[in-house]
Amino acid sequence: MRKRVETYLRGFFERNSRYFSHGGRLYPLASLFEAIETIFFTPAIAAGKAPYVRDGVDLKRFMSIVLLALVPPLIFGIYNTGYHSRLAIGSDLSFFSVVATGLKIVMPLIIVSYGVGFFWEALFSAIRKHPISEGFLVTGLLFPMTLPPTVPLWQVAVGISFGVVIGKEVFGGTGRNIFNPALTARAFLFFAYPARMSGDSVWVAVSGAASSAVSAVSGATPLSITTLAPGFKTFESQLHQSGFSLTNLFFGLYPGCVADSSALCCLIGALILIITGVASYRIILGGVAGLLVTSFGFGLISQAPLNPWININPLYHLLAGGFAFGIVYMATDPVSAPGTTASKWVYGFLIGLLTVMIRVINPAFPEGVMLAILFMNLFSPLFDVVEIRIRAGKRIPNV
Amino acid sequence: MKTVRIKKGWRFKIAGRPTDQQEIRLASQTVALVVDKLPFVKPLLLVKEGDSVNIGSSLFSDKKNPDIKFLSPGGGRVSAIHYGPRRVIEEIVISLDKSENQETFDAFTEKALDHTSRDSLIAGLMTRGMWPLIRQLPFRSIADPKSQPSAIWISLGSADPFQPLSQVYLKGQEEFFTFGVRALSRMSDRINICWYGDIPPGFDFLNESVTHRITGEYPATDPGVVLYHTKTTPAENQDWYINGQDVIGIGKCLKTGVYPVDRIVAFSDGTPENSRHLKTRTGIRLQDLAAGLSIGPDKQWIVGGILSGDATASDKYLDLNQTSIMIVDVSPQSEMFGFLRPGLHRLSRSRTLISTFSSALLPVNTDMHGEIRPCINCGYCASVCPVDILPQFTCKSLWADEIEEALAYGLLDCVECGLCSFVCPSKIELAECLKDARKHYHKELNQVA
Repeated sequence: MRKRVETYLRGFFERNSRYFSHGGRLYPLASLFEAIETIFFTPAIAAGKAPYVRDGVDLKRFMSIVLLALVPPLIFGIYNTGYHSRLAIGSDLSFFSVVATGLKIVMPLIIVSYGVGFFWEALFSAIRKHPISEGFLVTGLLFPMTLPPTVPLWQVAVGISFGVVIGKEVFGGTGRNIFNPALTARAFLFFAYPARMSGDSVWVAVSGAASSAVSAVSGATPLSITTLAPGFKTFESQLHQSGFSLTNLFFGLYPGCVADSSALCCLIGALILIITGVASYRIILGGVAGLLVTSFGFGLISQAPLNPWININPLYHLLAGGFAFGIVYMATDPVSAPGTTASKWVYGFLIGLLTVMIRVINPAFPEGVMLAILFMNLFSPLFDVVEIRIRAGKRIPNV
Repeated sequence: MKTVRIKKGWRFKIAGRPTDQQEIRLASQTVALVVDKLPFVKPLLLVKEGDSVNIGSSLFSDKKNPDIKFLSPGGGRVSAIHYGPRRVIEEIVISLDKSENQETFDAFTEKALDHTSRDSLIAGLMTRGMWPLIRQLPFRSIADPKSQPSAIWISLGSADPFQPLSQVYLKGQEEFFTFGVRALSRMSDRINICWYGDIPPGFDFLNESVTHRITGEYPATDPGVVLYHTKTTPAENQDWYINGQDVIGIGKCLKTGVYPVDRIVAFSDGTPENSRHLKTRTGIRLQDLAAGLSIGPDKQWIVGGILSGDATASDKYLDLNQTSIMIVDVSPQSEMFGFLRPGLHRLSRSRTLISTFSSALLPVNTDMHGEIRPCINCGYCASVCPVDILPQFTCKSLWADEIEEALAYGLLDCVECGLCSFVCPSKIELAECLKDARKHYHKELNQVA
């Protein structure tokens, strides 16, 4: 059976390759054809230069591992989205119906993101005559996972277009972008359509007519609770009362973006990425350290907090909101992160530091990880330059 | 004895390591002196086709320094001089006759050696054809006889398991080795002898002379790597180095007065049955090394180490100073859904394949295992580079023609081990880029106005 499928597919690609080869009618789409063909068959190319033996890893596998690491938060996100949607309208919460509802809400976002993004990717590849990069498979999935489930599909399309074209292709494509394209896309939506990206009424998607009836139920995210309500002695007890105990924040069953609420799933993803060596543990650990140290420091110096998040057990900062997702999947994008080892620690640490600062000092943004990562993306070439200079200075000159 | 631990590098998990068994391989009809692989040599021919030569007759000298002679690895008749593109001499082929005559040179006694001046010893090595075996860092060119190195590095053994074992080629040659070291010590105040790993029993005579014990993975034993990790001043950058087997050659040549052509080669065809040490001669035709084996035409022959070596073919000849021949499969047919497979039998240094978690030796082929992509700055190359040159940034500055920048990053410390190209998931030819840049820089430095 497998043999027959393989023979058939080989024949199919062989027959059709002439249309896409030089001089063929569909030559402009050669990169698209090649991208599809290489998904089915790893190309057999002999090494033409020394070394004549090459490592078995390629960018396809590298990116596939990231996709694999995204599976736990994605599955949980689908469940979580469905769960809160059904909870809001009071339907039954049996596992399969929750997953079905979740799929109905999340899949359109992913399909639109992949579809529109892939169009731009293919267009630029066709014009520039370079192969379609696998990096897009990650960008196209990361982006919808960081959106509120209520976001209109046209905004997904606009966002991913901005992310791919302005965030990546204008710089020259994969490997040359300064910012993480998925985060660029999200930041664009965040500032262009704030009403759909923040506030208390965007985190629970309810379908159809029932939506107006339940808007009052729509949940707040933990970070959007920024005042200590009367009747509570401590902010922790208030969060606990609102359903945001540390345990719940860790498991992630609370309203939020599609897939960034569960710290547990991000931890699983982080382990996959670190064990396989695809993501830098330096960035992740540095980020966690930066976040914990900064929030602990704020707790020490602030006696009369403006924002109760300033004086809280640092673990709340770690588990609430999108920090875990951002530091594991967004900050570790190798292209927009620094390439040298010490810089990675600094870069991660400063992301953690900035995240807390934005969260507790700036009243306009309850969440800070997106802006913190984008800001540090901007600085990562500088970190590299500094570290390379220092390292070059330590060498015994050889000219 | 100082222990030098090299932390970066990579342990080959490649099947077909040569065993320490030895077999003899004789040249069938022809041997040749390979010319175009000699680094930065412009040959000035001293023979023409049809001339009869002895073992040790001069075949050509270097245009830049006509005293440096390159001698014939066989006795017989110059049957062909092969030219490549732009009339570059590729090899000088000699058909052997039955009684191979030998040129004889003056033999040295230990006393005579100690009383010879440095200059006349160098001149003696040049006429005896042994000089091209002494190389000079950082360009790995043939040593400049007018320079005074701060040290000469002798490497015994290799972290590359496809190179001959030092205990195999040293056995029975201790006397010549010591004589060779004695001769080298006339040329530099410091002789650094590096041994890879522990000195096995039976080689106690080395205990006193070995100065550096090297541990670590490939390419830890490369003299450039050891030098990088031990040097304290820029003056050491131009040190000379020589392979242990060539020290034996120098000792033999000076002591007996004949040009030595015997050589031990580590041979591997990827199978444990056929991979072993071969006792043979320099300049042998490569297919003679594989005599008795059926090697198909769809094979890639690699000379000089699996990652740092050059492509060659069965009808080519063994280079003057090469000691390793490897035959690997060329890339097989494409694999369906290759990137989804767990990769149980695919070699990788990264941890993205299951094979990482087992220590089994794996077969290799010449497949790229992927297509060329832009650099994503993953840092794999920097994490293996034994001399810390950050290959990704160095190559980027070279592509932007910023040679000064690349030199500051350590371009000349590069030992051309090939690990950066090997590990790159984007399949970028980093090693090629560094190698070319070094070559061009050498050319510019040595340009005569």
